[in-house]
Amino acid sequence: MTDELAPTWEEVAHRHGRKIYNFAYRLTGNPDDAADLVQEVLLRVRKGLPSYQPGSFDGWLWRITRNAFLDGIRKKKRRPESALPEGDHHSLGSSPSPDEVLSSIRLSDDVQSALLKLPYEFREAVVLCDVVGLAYDEIAEATDVPVGTVRSRIHRGRKLLRGMLTWPI
Amino acid sequence: MADLIFDPDAHGELFSAYLDGQLTPAEVVVVSELLDGDEDAIKEFLALRHVRTSLRLLPEFEVPAALLPDGHLGDRLSAYLDGELVTLEHRRVTKHLVDCSDCRAELQELDGARIAVRSLPGVDTTMTGEIAATPAPPRRRRIVAGGIGAAAAAALLVGLAVGGSGDPVFVLDDLATHHIARASAEPGFAVLPAAIELAAP
Repeated sequence: MTDELAPTWEEVAHRHGRKIYNFAYRLTGNPDDAADLVQEVLLRVRKGLPSYQPGSFDGWLWRITRNAFLDGIRKKKRRPESALPEGDHHSLGSSPSPDEVLSSIRLSDDVQSALLKLPYEFREAVVLCDVVGLAYDEIAEATDVPVGTVRSRIHRGRKLLRGMLTWPI
Repeated sequence: MADLIFDPDAHGELFSAYLDGQLTPAEVVVVSELLDGDEDAIKEFLALRHVRTSLRLLPEFEVPAALLPDGHLGDRLSAYLDGELVTLEHRRVTKHLVDCSDCRAELQELDGARIAVRSLPGVDTTMTGEIAATPAPPRRRRIVAGGIGAAAAAALLVGLAVGGSGDPVFVLDDLATHHIARASAEPGFAVLPAAIELAAP
């Protein structure tokens, strides 16, 4: 999204708060951490909006979000922990039918656990792509790496997930 | 390209990016060639698609409502003081000012606000208590010009600054009605911008 004018703080909160919350939730598996991040990001957005230069708003917002998230991790000096549950994974078809969607929801805990096992760079790229829904160039801007690196990280993250979840096809 | 051999390490990344719609046209051609009858390539492609689909079908959590306040007013404060907000927006700002001590403080720091607030006559400091005790009336239509609403809110600020304590529950419509009646007859409001004066009935 490229905006000509900066939105208000209130608009950012309502348009993006949910995505920010889910970004942090999927990265940490922890709702408290997710709530903390939303508060911190919105505070930074409010402070930063007056100096925001029209351009890629999503890139700007997610760079703030990502930096706030990393700052939070540095402060807490801890890493999320979650055991990877054993097997009993359901098969997914090659395109999502209603049954497959339900199966996927049952699988969501397993997917979450597997996400937490990924190295941070891969996890971040995968979450920004598949949970937040950013394009590669927006992820590159948010994470301050070249687009080629983003592409590589997303693929390597998905490939690791595939190995962890060992879905039959 | 007919003899292109699939190499998971070299080509898997193309599949991921293809699924995301992030390939160049030339790369899309390569992917099409790889998927043309090569079972290993198709298997790899489908596996990556499963992973991607599962990630995208992860349920989305609702952000706790308490994390999404109404927001603060920022540069709308100046427009508010200048009487430049239309009635609907003006009411939103007024409502926010009742709830938000940060914005009330910011409003008071604006030079224009200082002039207006200093010029206001005293406000009955028991007003907050009276209002707090007033039960909320049913929603009703109110026809008020935006500028008068600004005066009412400015008077409200003085009331809060002088006599406010605790967390009184304000009833905006009644509050505005009280102050509109009072403000329209008081000389202090002459310092408000002409736009507000013109907006008065």
